[in-house]
Parts: sequence; structure tokens; C-alpha cells
Amino acid sequence: MTPPVLEATGVAKSFAGIVALRDVSLEVRAGERVGLIGPNGAGKTTFFNCVLGVIRADRGTVQLNGEDISRLPVHARARRGIGRSFQRIELFPESTVREHLLIAERTRRGDGRLWRDLLGLGRPRPDELAACDEVLDLLGLGDLADEPIEHLSLGQGRLVEVGRALMTRPRLLLLDEPSSGLDRQETADLAATLRAVQAEHGFAILLVEHDVELVEGFTERAYVLDFGSLIAAGPTREVLDSAIVRTAYLGDMEHQR
Amino acid sequence: MTFAAASVGEDLFRALLQGMAPGTVYALIALGFVLTYKTSGVFNLAFGAQAYVSAAMYFQARVEWGWAIVPALVVSVLLLAPALGLILERLIFRHLRTSSAVAKLVVAIGLTVAIPSLFEVLIGFEPVAGRTPEGIVPGGATVFYDPFGVYRFSRDELVAMVVALVAMAVLAALFRYSGIGLQMRAVVESPRMTELNGIRADRVSAFSWALSSLFAGLAGVLIAPRFNTLAAPDFFNLVVVAIAAAAVGRLVSLPRALAGGLGLGILIALANTFLPRWSGDHPLLASIQENVTPAMPFVVLFGLLVLWPAVRRTREQSDPLSGVDPPPPSLAAAERSPALTRVTRVFAVAFFVVVGLAVFTQADASWLFLVTQAVILSTIYLSITVITGLAGQISLCQGTFAAIGGFTAFQLTDRAGLPVLLAGLIGAVLAAAVGTVLSLPVLRLGGVWVAIATLAFAFFFDAVMVKLPWIGGGDTSLLQGTRVPRPTIGPWDLADDKQFLVLALLMFTVVSFAVIRIREGTVGRTLRAVRGSEVAAQSIGISPPRARITAFAVSAFIAGLGGSLLAMHQENVNYGSNFAPFAALFWLVLVVSLGSRTVEGAAQAGAAFALFDAVVLKGAVFGWILRSPDRIPGFLPLSPKWRFILFGLGTIQFARHPEGLVEYGKRRAHARVEQALARMRRTGDEPAPPAPVEQAPVEEPVA
Repeated sequence: MTPPVLEATGVAKSFAGIVALRDVSLEVRAGERVGLIGPNGAGKTTFFNCVLGVIRADRGTVQLNGEDISRLPVHARARRGIGRSFQRIELFPESTVREHLLIAERTRRGDGRLWRDLLGLGRPRPDELAACDEVLDLLGLGDLADEPIEHLSLGQGRLVEVGRALMTRPRLLLLDEPSSGLDRQETADLAATLRAVQAEHGFAILLVEHDVELVEGFTERAYVLDFGSLIAAGPTREVLDSAIVRTAYLGDMEHQR
Repeated sequence: MTFAAASVGEDLFRALLQGMAPGTVYALIALGFVLTYKTSGVFNLAFGAQAYVSAAMYFQARVEWGWAIVPALVVSVLLLAPALGLILERLIFRHLRTSSAVAKLVVAIGLTVAIPSLFEVLIGFEPVAGRTPEGIVPGGATVFYDPFGVYRFSRDELVAMVVALVAMAVLAALFRYSGIGLQMRAVVESPRMTELNGIRADRVSAFSWALSSLFAGLAGVLIAPRFNTLAAPDFFNLVVVAIAAAAVGRLVSLPRALAGGLGLGILIALANTFLPRWSGDHPLLASIQENVTPAMPFVVLFGLLVLWPAVRRTREQSDPLSGVDPPPPSLAAAERSPALTRVTRVFAVAFFVVVGLAVFTQADASWLFLVTQAVILSTIYLSITVITGLAGQISLCQGTFAAIGGFTAFQLTDRAGLPVLLAGLIGAVLAAAVGTVLSLPVLRLGGVWVAIATLAFAFFFDAVMVKLPWIGGGDTSLLQGTRVPRPTIGPWDLADDKQFLVLALLMFTVVSFAVIRIREGTVGRTLRAVRGSEVAAQSIGISPPRARITAFAVSAFIAGLGGSLLAMHQENVNYGSNFAPFAALFWLVLVVSLGSRTVEGAAQAGAAFALFDAVVLKGAVFGWILRSPDRIPGFLPLSPKWRFILFGLGTIQFARHPEGLVEYGKRRAHARVEQALARMRRTGDEPAPPAPVEQAPVEEPVA
């Protein structure tokens, strides 16, 4: 049996004595869409960062396609197939949309060397441009390819992030609250585009999200974190309906009303 | 090694006392530095310049104008210093509050260059060698006290210590007991939170600038008697000492900064006392020892930065509400439109042909010298284009890399008799190697700390390495200079100035093309990604440290190559006037204010360095335009110091327009022309087509 795309085992992390994650285990299989939800401060972002390598877990392992990546730096994990988007959008200023994809493609190929630049071989090549345009068309960004990034809306910017991540040919795409800052229609559009792209490329998605509606419609399975521990896991609908999740997560909201 | 054991304790005690006096003044400066950093987030390198202004004012009032001590002190320390602090806060730094720490640093570097010259021009102060500044009490340098029988304090030293201690006590009391002190402590925690509580953070920040500037002025006047001649670079060294002291307190703790300053003073005195003993028998050690003591603060600073992880983790802004800051102004239309690029290229070629013809047919030896210098410096400045323009890092040791190239050319021709061009090339490779090794520890620091660590390295090289015989030539070079021959290539003897200019132009062209290709190639794109968003770059598999190491190595190589060329041109390394840290600081200021992103900007900066004085300030340009040297307007020639003032102040726009003055102006002009053309087209063929909004690049930052 092939190993899962992502397998986190017993990941634990504490900051100055405060436990942020308590033995969290989770797996994402090829082609799956998995949600990770939980109230504010549940440890979602911490877990996310442990998977990405932004912070290093105190205990536990993170495996990507059966390979232990727990000790690798962020960029090395990215090269092994983890792509991501950011909650607060992170694009390269002063670049066009196509240039975002181009640099990702060039990095993936790993054939950029100083001496090649000096010989004038560093300019964008036709096959690279074609690869970029293919993904841009898929995301519906074809018309914006030469726009400076400053001219885009937030939703378009998020799609550029996805496109940039796609150029690295990820096996796993981590989406960090992709609905933040978007309205309902934009969120729905984004979800539809993501589905279409996933159908084409076949990567797995791990979605960290606040927007219950998006999680419910988009993911097949979901994990729920509360106070650093996994409190529920299973098919998304069942998880969202379960009593324990309602008290921990939705119940909070009802109290506030 | 023979000395009586009993004297060790006595020496220790003596060194302790000896280090106290400068230590308290260092502490004073460190406190002021931390105060500004904490309340406004400005890494104020111009602090030394502020100290210099007060010291020079005091000197001028006392010695030139013959004032009594008290009025001179009141004007220079109590009035001028706080006023300067207020002006800086009001006119400059208040408007940069949301700018990045690096942008603020660049502005501070520009001010470091501009303020002393501006003061000297306004007051008419001229540093004169050998005229020692005096202290704030009569007989300060001639009356001694010896309370413990081991060390004779001069009256100046005692007064400096007492005044510094009183100032610190006042600061402590202010913080603890006064309303404004409480507000200052609050602003330090979070300016926005404080404002939400109804306190005007602006006013508190202005107050702390005035206060810290007062500290700077006081420290400047107190420390001045230790220098033989009042000169701005010495005071710049002083601020590096203060940073070292402040780094002990991770830049945020006032008591630790105090301890750091005191400790540094004592450490230097200890080294002065004990190192000669241990090194007495070893000539090699002796030569190092002589030079290590002046370099002590830089060694300490560099060591702290590289070895002490806690310093690195100091957040540049620890405001809990900093997330609500508006993002820094975005740079719309950073790419030139193709049309503008074409116009620029055509113009550049025409310009070069005209000027080139003029230079090769008309110029006399002195103009030829200046033009050649401009070309070579432009080559060196391309190294800043790479490290600052492409990689977004502020390196303050480019002069050191250039010096490595120059010294290698000198050593290898002098000792091994290598052809000088080969020696220069080896020098460039060596500089690249040093740059790579240096970047390994430095690059983990990030942001402002890269600038400070490279500055510490530049000072270390300046104070220690240059004096070693196998680098700077040692004693023989004092007599004969560090001579470098002009190259000979086959039939061409480049001793001829015009032929050498051809070589310099050739080098500049080659390096320019290399830089353009790097910028448009993988390395340039990678660096742009890392500069734009480090986390995003990592997320697609880019290793930011690796990208930056490449940038450092390339930049150091270019600087080394240019440095060796400069040495060949002047037939001497001339380290002091060409490559000293303070001189190299001006390089950065020039390139950044004119345009650090483009080859054009580097060329303009080179021309500005070598030719601005002769062409503009001495008025030659008017002579050419009016076709007679007699019609140069009467207010010329202006002091060459205006170079420092104009370009130093030019860095202020860096926060808003990092692409540089010339580039920004050109883009604006281009946008206007485009708009005008579009309007003409509209009025020309009715009915009007829809306005070509997308066509006109957005020039103003969105925020």
C-alpha cells in the first residue's frame, strides 16, 4: 500500500510552557481534500507551521510520501512537494503575474546557475513561458498575465498564490484560510476553481479554515482541533454535526450571540 | 614574560579606573541611542553626527568666538542639541513611522553624511589638524588627581564621569517619577496602544528625540578632549561603540546599555594594560596588539551579533498592534515600460558619444583623471546595485571589499611580480571569498543587523587588518606608499591616461552587462523574490540564505575588481582617502539616493562622486554653457561639502521611492508625456476612444 501524502504522528509543541499542540496525528491521502478546523487559538496555525517547517515540533514526526521531513528547512520541504497559500497574502511586489509563476518554475527545474545568467541563458525560455501560461489559463488568469501584482484584487491575488504553488508541482497543497478577506461569491468561485485544478493535477489539499460553509462544501474529511488536541475526525458532515464539535466550536459562537 | 605578580592586581585596578571615564560617556551615548530606538524604532546611526554638531559648536564658540564656558555650553548642549533632535523627528522620522526598519536606517545613514557638513557650512566651522578641543572646565587636561595612588585622573575625566552619572540619574528619576517618563515607557511598549489611551505618542516621541539628542550633545562635548582634532568620522566611530554597548542590552534595555558602555570602556583599558605584557616577546602578537585595542568595540559588536543568538531575535518592532499598521507603500510600475527603456538607451548612447568625444579630444590631464575616476567608481557602485538594489541588503563594507582588491594588486605585484591585471583579478576573487565567508554568519541576522555587522567588519578591517604588513604593507608603505603599477597589455602601455580610460570603460561595460544579465536571469529573479517576500520565496523552494550568499559574493567580486582598478589608476592604493569606512558610507548614500536598481543609477553615482564638485559646485558647467570661464556666477565655487549635504539629504526619499531620485523623476516625466500623448490622440480623432487608463503606469504609491 502506498504511504499517505502527509502523515503527521504525535506532533507536539509548546511555547514557554503553554501547550499549543498535544500529540496531534493526522493523515492526508493522495487526491483527498481534508479540512482542519477549530476555534481561535486551537493550534491550527501552529500545526500548519510544523508541517511546513516554519517552526519545529518538540516531538513527533512529519512524513511526506513516507519520507521523514521533520528536520528539513522550509524550502527543502517545498521542493519535496508541499505548496502553500498564505492567510495574509504574500506576493512579490514589482512583478507581473507571469513572473510569479516563472520564478517558481525556474526554481523547480533547479537549472538556474550564475554562469548561465552571465552567458545570457537566464532569460525566460519558451517552454517555461508555455508552462506558466497553461496554469494561468487553468486558473482563469490568462488575461492578467502581464499585469503588475499591485493591480489585482485580493481574490485574484490568492489565485496567483495558488498558481505559483502549482508550478512547483506539489503533492500536497496547504491552504491557510483562503476565504479570509473574500466575500461569499468570491469564496465560492475560489472553491470551484480549486476543484477544477485539483481534478487536472491530482494533488491533495489540506485546508485550514474558519469558514464552516467552505469546509462543509469543499472537503471530504475533517479534523477538529481544540486546545491543542484533536477532538474529532471523520467525514466532514459527520464531524460538523457531532455534539462534541458543536460545543467546542460552534457552541462558543452561540454563547456569544 | 617577567613581571612581579603583585603588580597584576594594581594594574587591574588602574585599568578599571582608567576605563571608567570613557566608559561612562559611552554609556551616555548608548542610553541615548536606545532611547530613540525604543521610542521611534529608528536605528539612529546619525547619533554620532548629532554629538559632533554639539562638540563642534562648543569648540567654535570657545576657541573661535572666545565665549565663556557657560554660554558656550548652554548654546551647544542645552539649545542646539535638543533643537536638532526635534527637527529630525518633526521633519523626517515622524513621516517614516510606518516605513521599514531598513528604510529608516538608510535615511539615518544619509543624515550621518549630511549633518556634519551642513553644520560646518552654516557655521563656517573648519576642522584644523592639531587643534585639540578643550573640556568644560579650565585646566581640564593639565590638572590631575590621584585619589588611590594608582591612576591619575585628569580633571576632564573626572568631570566627564560626574556629569554623565548625573545625567543618567536624572534620566532614571524622569522615568520613575514623572508623567512624561511614564508615557515614554508606555510608548516604548506600544505607540498605538498608548494613543488609544488618549496620550499623544507623537509628542512623547518628539520629547524623547530631544532628550536623546541632548544626551548625544552632552556626550560629544565631554568626549571631544580625547581627540586630537575634531572631525566627524571619529564621532561616527563613537556611535558604533554605542551600538556595541546597546547590543549588550539587546538594544532595548537601558540599564544593560549602561553596563555595556561602562564595560566596554573598562575592557579597552584592560586590553591596553595587559596585552602589551603577553605580546611583548612575540613580534607578530605585538603588531596585532597595537591594533586590537582601537578595534575592540568593533570586535565586541561583531562577536555579539554573530555569536549571541538573543540579539538576533530582538524583534525590530515588538508592538502588539503592529499588525494594524498600513502596509508599506507599494511600488507600482516598478518595471520600466519598454518605451522608456528605449528612450533611456538612445539617450545614454548619444550622451556617451558626445561626452566621450569631448573627453578624448578636449580634456586636459586633470579632467581626464576625474572622468576615469568616475568610470571606475561606477564599476564599484555596480556592486551596490547587486547587493542593495537586487538583494535588498544594506552592506556598509563595500569599501573594504574594494580595498581587498586594491591591496591584493599591490601585494602581488610588489612581492611576487605578477602582472597587475592578473593580480587585480585575483584580488577580486579574494574579495568574493571574503564576502562569502562574511555573509555566512551575517546573513542569519537579517534586516538592520546586516548593515551593522558589515559596518563592524569594515571598522575591524580599518583598525586592524590594514596595519598588518601582509595587507597594508606595514612600515615600508608609510615611506613609499602602497604603489601599484599601471598594466601593459601587449603593445598597449596603459601608463598613458587615455589608454587607461579605455580599459576602465571596457571594464565598466563588461560588468554592466554582467549585472544586467544577472538581473534578468535566474539569480536576479530569485533575489527579487526573496526581497519581495521571504516566506513566499521559501514556499516555492528558494533558499533565501543561498540566494543572498550569491549576491554577497558577486557584489564583493565587483567591488574588488573596481578597487584594484582604482589602485592602478592612482598608481597607489590610497586606502585612507579611497576606502575608509566613512568614505565608503558616502558611496552607499550616493547610489541609494540616485538609484540603486539600475546600471544607470550606478553610473550617475560614479559621475556625481568624481565630477559633481568640479562641474557643478565649482561652476564649470556654467562656463561651458556661457562659453566663457569668466561668466561663472559669483556665488560659485561652493564648498565641496555640498556634495555630502545634497546627496545625504537625498536618501530621505528612499523610504517612498527606493528606486532612487533620477529613476523616479524619469518615470514621472515619462508618465506625463504618455498622458499628454493620449490626450492629443483623443482630441485629434473624434469621437474620443475610451481613456487608455491601463496604459498609463500608476506612478504614485497606493498608500
